[in-house]
Amino acid sequence: MAKQYDVLFRLLLIGDSGVGKTCLLCRFTDNEFHPSHISTIGVDFKMKTIDVDGIKVRIQIWDTAGQERYQTITKQYYRRAQGIFLVYDITSERSYQHIMKWASDVDEYAPDGVQKILIGNKADEEHKRQVGKHQGMKLAEEYGMDFYETSACTNYNIKESFTRLTELVLMAHRKELDGLRLASNDELNLAELEEDGRKADGTANSKSCWC
Amino acid sequence: MARSPGEGSVSPSASLRGTRETLSDPELESLGSDSEINGFTAERKTDKYGFLIKTEENGGREEELSVDVLRQREAKWLDMLFNWDKWMAKRHKKIKLRCQKGIPPSLRGRAWQYLSGSRVKMDQNPNKFTELDSMAGDPKWVDIIERDLHRQFPFHEMFVARGGHGQQDLFRVLKAYTLYRPDEGYCQAQAPIAAVLLMHMPAEQAFWCLVQICEKYLPGYYSEKLEAIQLDGRILFSLLRKVSAVAYKHLSKQKIDPILYMTEWFMCAFSRTLPWSSVLRVWDMFFCEGNFVCH
Repeated sequence: MAKQYDVLFRLLLIGDSGVGKTCLLCRFTDNEFHPSHISTIGVDFKMKTIDVDGIKVRIQIWDTAGQERYQTITKQYYRRAQGIFLVYDITSERSYQHIMKWASDVDEYAPDGVQKILIGNKADEEHKRQVGKHQGMKLAEEYGMDFYETSACTNYNIKESFTRLTELVLMAHRKELDGLRLASNDELNLAELEEDGRKADGTANSKSCWC
Repeated sequence: MARSPGEGSVSPSASLRGTRETLSDPELESLGSDSEINGFTAERKTDKYGFLIKTEENGGREEELSVDVLRQREAKWLDMLFNWDKWMAKRHKKIKLRCQKGIPPSLRGRAWQYLSGSRVKMDQNPNKFTELDSMAGDPKWVDIIERDLHRQFPFHEMFVARGGHGQQDLFRVLKAYTLYRPDEGYCQAQAPIAAVLLMHMPAEQAFWCLVQICEKYLPGYYSEKLEAIQLDGRILFSLLRKVSAVAYKHLSKQKIDPILYMTEWFMCAFSRTLPWSSVLRVWDMFFCEGNFVCH
């Protein structure tokens, strides 16, 4: 059987309730946008394989409930992520203010080398905007993150932001990936390697069934 | 991770994809915000539970009870409801048996109130809901509740309209609960629970039923640290080990923690997970026997 991907890793979506995390994910994985959908209770995930510089990357994207009390549950998944989207809603000043809290949680619970990116979603709702684009850029700069304004509704910057975070994770794991090229018949499961705390030697063959 | 029902028992795949499915039919979408508030009832098809049917679907294929059987059951249930205390004291087994057969749809809302004891609680606190209803809620809770109103059963006719009666009542019930139990406040999983109740009874009755669920049936499920749900997740997993060691081993190996799949099942009492006809039957037994039917 031909291998389906070269590398597997996990991304995580966090941010206040109602900022559009689930919609971002649906747009990216299924290219769908549903004005009518249900709130996320607990944790959910979707998968997608994309091609980055000739590397087939299988990403598993975890979607989390935004309400504060679910964090006792969702925090347990921070440590399993290689990349994290911090999402706010440009029509909600409060969701932007809360990014600070989300970022400090990431510092506390996520693994050290985790890649982060800041997202200001609902960019199509210009008439309701409460957070300027420059504010988003400034905050991202302070945290040393990349920044995108996105709209799941109009499909604006969705692919770009997901691809960017994927690239950042790939770059952060370049060493393991170079090893991969040598032993190109194997899949590299970054998620598993990180979790088990093993040192990657490039010949990892921990093929797992996530389907 | 199955997502919510809504289409009754159309087909397994349809019911699994559930409410996340798009309302791509422009006719349905245009029904949008104000048709319900204005009392304008555009022509739209629903199944017998009130969920919108997309035109190409043929509705449920459930086995229907004959009218005679249904009438007989209704008569039996009416007798029980009129003499509830006597039945509870002396013939509880019979009540349970009748719940197992399924409560007749026309009496389901009333039966749930009697089974849960919410009826008694409401009668003991005659003006409480009106009082809570007239109070302003804590902005912290009001804000998050408002963001959830249009995200509960969006394909049910009661909740399809933004700001419609269903969503208004949902707000009243959830806000009242945050005032009734300010120590607990609002948990997002309470919204689908309250919505299911509102499909069967008015706001005040739904409020007291919600109180019973949160305090008696699922204590601690919705409170600040969500400890109860995490504990139940571990219990479920150890039960799985006994029942199916193979499944247990596989899930363990793949690091699929119970909290990943059971959170929504349990916190929403399966209302988003099972085909709708099954949700109602599970809830009949849930009210009759308590949480362990879900375990």
